[in-house]
Amino acid sequence: MTERLLALFQLCDSNLPTGSFSHSFGLETYIQDNTVTDSDSFEEWLSCYLEEQLAYTDGIACRMVFDALETGDLDTVSAIGAKLHVQNLPRETRQGTRMIGEGMLKLFSRLYDFPFLTEYARLVKEKRAVPHPAIVFAITAHGLGCSREEAVLYHFYGTVSGLIQNAVRAIPLGQTAGQMILNRIRPLLRQTAEKALTLPDEDFGLVAPGLELSQMQHERVNVRIFMS
Amino acid sequence: MTKWTGELNLSLEDRAGKTVARNVYFQGAFKVMRPIYHDDSGKVCYYLLNPGGGYLDGDRYRMDITAEPDARVTLTTQGATKVYKTPKDHAYQETTMTLKAGSYLEYLPDPLIAYKDAVYRQKNVVSMESGATFLYTDILTPGWSPDGGQFAFNSVRLINEIYVDGEPAVFDNIRLSPADQKVGGLGFMEGYTHLGSMIAIGEQTTDDLIDGLHDLLAKSSGEDQVKFGISRLAVPGFSIRILARSTGRIEKMLNACHKRISEEWLGLTPASLRKY
Repeated sequence: MTERLLALFQLCDSNLPTGSFSHSFGLETYIQDNTVTDSDSFEEWLSCYLEEQLAYTDGIACRMVFDALETGDLDTVSAIGAKLHVQNLPRETRQGTRMIGEGMLKLFSRLYDFPFLTEYARLVKEKRAVPHPAIVFAITAHGLGCSREEAVLYHFYGTVSGLIQNAVRAIPLGQTAGQMILNRIRPLLRQTAEKALTLPDEDFGLVAPGLELSQMQHERVNVRIFMS
Repeated sequence: MTKWTGELNLSLEDRAGKTVARNVYFQGAFKVMRPIYHDDSGKVCYYLLNPGGGYLDGDRYRMDITAEPDARVTLTTQGATKVYKTPKDHAYQETTMTLKAGSYLEYLPDPLIAYKDAVYRQKNVVSMESGATFLYTDILTPGWSPDGGQFAFNSVRLINEIYVDGEPAVFDNIRLSPADQKVGGLGFMEGYTHLGSMIAIGEQTTDDLIDGLHDLLAKSSGEDQVKFGISRLAVPGFSIRILARSTGRIEKMLNACHKRISEEWLGLTPASLRKY
């Protein structure tokens, strides 16, 4: 248990070199139009992003990947990745997610040689799969012997703590304020992870229109420090 | 097997530059009017109608549309799709569209209005060959309740799945369930009441067209407060989303885009589809 926990700490580190520090997933649009200006308004955005976007994309995908790995069905895993990719209508967010997935896959493949991870990396290399962070994380967590609950929860935690670091730089917020948010959002992280595991397949990829629009609009935001 | 409340099969082919029906079949509470040629381009327009006047508890509708090579067709509705309360079982509509190489299919239905306590699901599955062009719009309204309140429907779900040469190209899954969503707050409807979408897939897509459409959207939004975005898809094509406070505003904005796309892709100025 301790060994697995230490391994997960590493995978969830917001300093993980996956390129996620370059992507705000539409947050920057809200910062530029003065909707997100401080800790409270950022937390409102972060809660919405977690509950209305991550739960229906990454959350359901993690669960589906675990189901597919039970029978070693990597074709289904690739199909989930393809659907995640084309579900992401805003170009920058779609391309950014793919880049982060690629970065994560490269790094995790150096750290571990789990057979499913190696096989997935091969499919990506042959362009038969589009790398996605939720899928790479789920396969790696599966390799570490995690449960679905742990996989979804830790993936959410890693994503959210990275976004908080980005907000600290961009809004800007104090480092302490960032840590306070991470502390406050813990109950919601657990609730959302639990909920994501019970969501039906037909909810896969549900869209939060406002978030999606801000991600589309980011292409035309004047001052940008993020690529999405 | 599902017992369909209304069914429609329509396949269209090109005959020496004019698009004509190869097969038309409908039964139950679904009907198409006779084809209309708005100009001498050979592009055909079909109006769908629902003689029942609206979708009721447990209704099931099915449409199957095929555009053979080089066929060019506009498919629209006679009026808004109205979904009344569904106390026992949701109303459902599924549409499959097949587009062969060189064909052009635009599906431009009127807005969807779901009334108090309605549950509605709609699924469109589009299978295209590369070299075909597909254009789609929809408008989701907040519906009406007898006491004048908005968002009184129970749940509306719209699913679009598009495949190009068998590969996933677009997957769009929208659900409005006002009872269990913070519809008004940041990230969701953000205080707007109407949601408009356009999906266009065509190899002719250029960055210039997308920039031009973005400017057009800004211009046609008038004085109204709206939120809109346009972005390139994973395949040649783009999607547009609009949040607004009226059907009319979204129609104006989407019509402006439709006109520009028709001019660029077909060399045609579209006829007004609004009926009555």
